[in-house]
Amino acid sequence: MPAPLSVSVVVPARNAARTLGTVLVALRESDLPRDSYEIIVVDDSSSDASATIAARHADTVIRLNGRVSGPAYARNRGAELARADVVIFVDADVVVRPDTLPRMLATLAAHPSLDAVSASHGERAGAPNFVSQYWNLLLRFGEQRHAGARAHFTSGCAAVRRSAFLSAGMYDEWRFGTAGLESLEFGQRLHGAGHDIFLDPALEVTHLTHWTTASVCREAWHRSTLLARSLGYQRTSVEAPGEVVFTLSRALTPALAVLATLTLAAAFLPQPYISSETAIALGALLLGNLSVYRFYANTRGLGFALAASPLHLCVQVVSAVALCTGWVLRDAVGDILPDATTQAYSEVGLEIWPPVPRRL
Amino acid sequence: MIRASLNDPSYENMTPVQSDDSSGASGEGAAANHSRAALAPASRGPRRTPRTSLIVVLPEDHIVSPASLAERLPIATGCDVDVIVACAGQPINLHALQRTVADAQFLLAPAGTSMEDLRELAMERAPGDIVTLLSGALQSQPARVELEIKTS
Repeated sequence: MPAPLSVSVVVPARNAARTLGTVLVALRESDLPRDSYEIIVVDDSSSDASATIAARHADTVIRLNGRVSGPAYARNRGAELARADVVIFVDADVVVRPDTLPRMLATLAAHPSLDAVSASHGERAGAPNFVSQYWNLLLRFGEQRHAGARAHFTSGCAAVRRSAFLSAGMYDEWRFGTAGLESLEFGQRLHGAGHDIFLDPALEVTHLTHWTTASVCREAWHRSTLLARSLGYQRTSVEAPGEVVFTLSRALTPALAVLATLTLAAAFLPQPYISSETAIALGALLLGNLSVYRFYANTRGLGFALAASPLHLCVQVVSAVALCTGWVLRDAVGDILPDATTQAYSEVGLEIWPPVPRRL
Repeated sequence: MIRASLNDPSYENMTPVQSDDSSGASGEGAAANHSRAALAPASRGPRRTPRTSLIVVLPEDHIVSPASLAERLPIATGCDVDVIVACAGQPINLHALQRTVADAQFLLAPAGTSMEDLRELAMERAPGDIVTLLSGALQSQPARVELEIKTS
């Protein structure tokens, strides 16, 4: 009689052929006995070789053919099939360390009142370029500042008791058709249902995604609009302050307020004062971000912190504009909804495979 | 792919896999060189339940116990299960497998094909939306001889 499984690892994958093999090999090389955990890969309509790469290493491969459903939907399908009491979600670009899974299990076993454990971004990103390192460290900064109990549920690598996952309603696959804040929102619901989440700062994983300036700005835009439109800024800022959007917008909002005040005052002042106003605003911005820059300097040195400041400013501006856009869209159009076909299928209760996304 | 009748355990009904340089023990794209026409048809048309496949992977000198095979089969209850047995060389406990599985497809790869390549080859032929992969365990030599005597 085989030993009962202690954990089911669910990996959602969408066109992840470049990184999936490395991710799955790292999972297979975990310190846990191989027959004590299962690896479930959910292939979200990939057009590359993700499914066949998954088959090389996984125990189960779920193929979602047809439309792209998003990681929230894919994780839900994987968790439905999971056989163990603990489910660990690992993204298709996240490399775990040999002790990651056993430590997560040990934490849950040692604290029965705890229902979820999140891992943090490692100090170095898998991609060596500067922008990837910057973005990785920014996410790490947010996580490390709010590590410990009552932390948020990270999307890259997090463990949850299956019973808690199901009782909290699983991921919101109805509203979050794309990657972004689905884990943040799920974490909020877990907290709301009385479940505790612990972010262990020593539990680190490596993200392999190669980021460019454009892709980082796109990500900041996407996260910020999604946050403003679907969750509301204030509510989430109280409950999940570690999210990167707050790291980006925390200092920018007062800096913009200072700039706006000075610009208004400039209308009554002669021309040369304008440059000093800009300098004051930039100074306010740098001062507001001092903790971020100090973190960069301590981690990578002063040179890295100085080099990151223009990029950080650029990403902050994108995030601030996106937040405003999200609020306007929320008022004008309303909350995020899936496409009309999905809504119609849901309305009539169509039963097909893959299933129509469920409303919470 | 030709379905092998499990009541007639001859290898003539089984699907051999062409041996070439890329289908050796390395390379994630080992199966990519095979004709697309040889692949299993993708699941088409709306269905109420997922189609499920079970792939049993048996590299050389590996066996899967009928008990562990039977354990995985009930997972896919309620709908048809396509069972694919991917073997490198000659499978050891073919008769035991035949007794456990009512109907199965056999995929015969050249001896020496690695576990990962067998999995990839079988995956390309599996029609299921949910594909479970079950790897065999390495069989020790005395136990292998005993099993061959029993099944011969």
